[in-house]
Amino acid sequence: MNRRGLLGAAGAVAAAALLPRRARASSPALRPPGALPPGEFEQACIGCFRCAEVCPPKAIRFPALLSLAAVQPFIDARDRACILCMRCTEVCPTGALLPVPASSEAVARQVRMGTPVLERRDCLPWNGRGVCRLCFYVCPYAGTAVELVGPRQAPLFHAETCVGCGLCEEACPGEARAIRIRPPEGARSRG
Amino acid sequence: MSATSARPPSPRAAPSAAGGLARARLHPVDVVLRRARRYQALRRASLALSVAVVIGLPLWHLSAVGAASAGLSGGGPWAAIARALGFPRSAPPVVGAPPAIDLFGLELLDPLLALGVALAHGFRLSLLLVALPALVVVALLGRFFCGWVCPYVPLLAASNALRWLLGRMGMRLPDLRLPRRTSLWVLVGILVATAVLGTQLAPLVYPPAVIGREAFRAVFFGSLGLGALVVGAAFAFDTFVSRAGFCRSLCPGGALFSLVGAASPVRVRRVAERCTDCTVCDVVCNLGQRPMTDGLDAGCERCGKCVSACPTGALTMGLGTILPRSGP
Repeated sequence: MNRRGLLGAAGAVAAAALLPRRARASSPALRPPGALPPGEFEQACIGCFRCAEVCPPKAIRFPALLSLAAVQPFIDARDRACILCMRCTEVCPTGALLPVPASSEAVARQVRMGTPVLERRDCLPWNGRGVCRLCFYVCPYAGTAVELVGPRQAPLFHAETCVGCGLCEEACPGEARAIRIRPPEGARSRG
Repeated sequence: MSATSARPPSPRAAPSAAGGLARARLHPVDVVLRRARRYQALRRASLALSVAVVIGLPLWHLSAVGAASAGLSGGGPWAAIARALGFPRSAPPVVGAPPAIDLFGLELLDPLLALGVALAHGFRLSLLLVALPALVVVALLGRFFCGWVCPYVPLLAASNALRWLLGRMGMRLPDLRLPRRTSLWVLVGILVATAVLGTQLAPLVYPPAVIGREAFRAVFFGSLGLGALVVGAAFAFDTFVSRAGFCRSLCPGGALFSLVGAASPVRVRRVAERCTDCTVCDVVCNLGQRPMTDGLDAGCERCGKCVSACPTGALTMGLGTILPRSGP
């Protein structure tokens, strides 16, 4: 390769680097705890799978399909939820996951994987078909993130204190699971 | 730049029939195995270690997380294998695979991936620091990762063997020779697209990253992603279209290492008086280098196969010194 080609190539890369960076959110997915906001996470994550390698419940996975988001890890809380051990945040080599101390207070303060959305029609205490309370019993922040209200002791979620681990979504019985952790909404541009 | 036409005449030139014979009969792997030296043994040990990390480490981690969450995770066949192989239940001191590895607390990142993150997400000093060890080693030794660490190399050896076998069975396989700068444009294209799209693209096609991720997925979840197809496509390309064509003229990592290691002082040199123009060195080279005519450039991966294979010891590698030879 000649010198002029090399300079041109370096110039092209430099020009691309100087373009205003737009953080693009791909299909919203639940990311591991400590993840950068959607868009920024995709910029920084190299899909090295170290977070998934140290995940005790094997909750962190990688998309099997080849897409632009194919290298980035996600959590399918319905299948296997995060247990908030914070091991994954310690091993990220590029800062796509920022370290979070594995203390109850630090996790409550720093982790917002998503927000809980309850479909009351499908929730047994709310629709009057049962006395369930499973979400309350599995919640690491029971009493603050979810409390039982009313005569039927039906769950009421508080998005501002919920860390979004998804243990309630995993525990929620039946096919029509009443709880879903909604991933944070996408992209803000950064210059 | 290789200069096949400008070959200096050798004083001890062998009959041209010998050259033709070498080309026709020699199996690239076979030559090196028969004349194995310490250098080649070391290189194979390094590659074996790399493959052991890529496959063994997920097994160890599986054993460790399985112990941490007994009853939580179902396990599956690999968990049983990990237990049967006696992997400890404590967490291993190494996390990851060659492109991004935590080696006993020492953080190492492939410069290609570090560059991608710097372009898409922003430059940070920590990125440079974790990529620095590899950059220094490549600046000194050239593109040696390709021959010493990349977990694709065993697959490439298999591809070469398959090529040779099919050739023996009478199949005429093409050997497309794309210009090596093609890989430079692949590298530039990937980096520009990474910066513009804001998502990491090199890990989708860079074999060490893909192989590490797919091996991990296979061990942890018993499934393969389409990354396996990427590696399969590279294998098919190398086997049926162009010998080692992916490594030689398409791999973005190889292109970056060639650039960084362009001024490496460690290189293959030829003692013209000993050379018989037998072409064995040119035949064993995967990357299309031409040691016999001094046609070596930054694309040399310092695998030393040409040096080991040279029947007259005319080739040396190092800082101009002769590599110790242990056999005839």
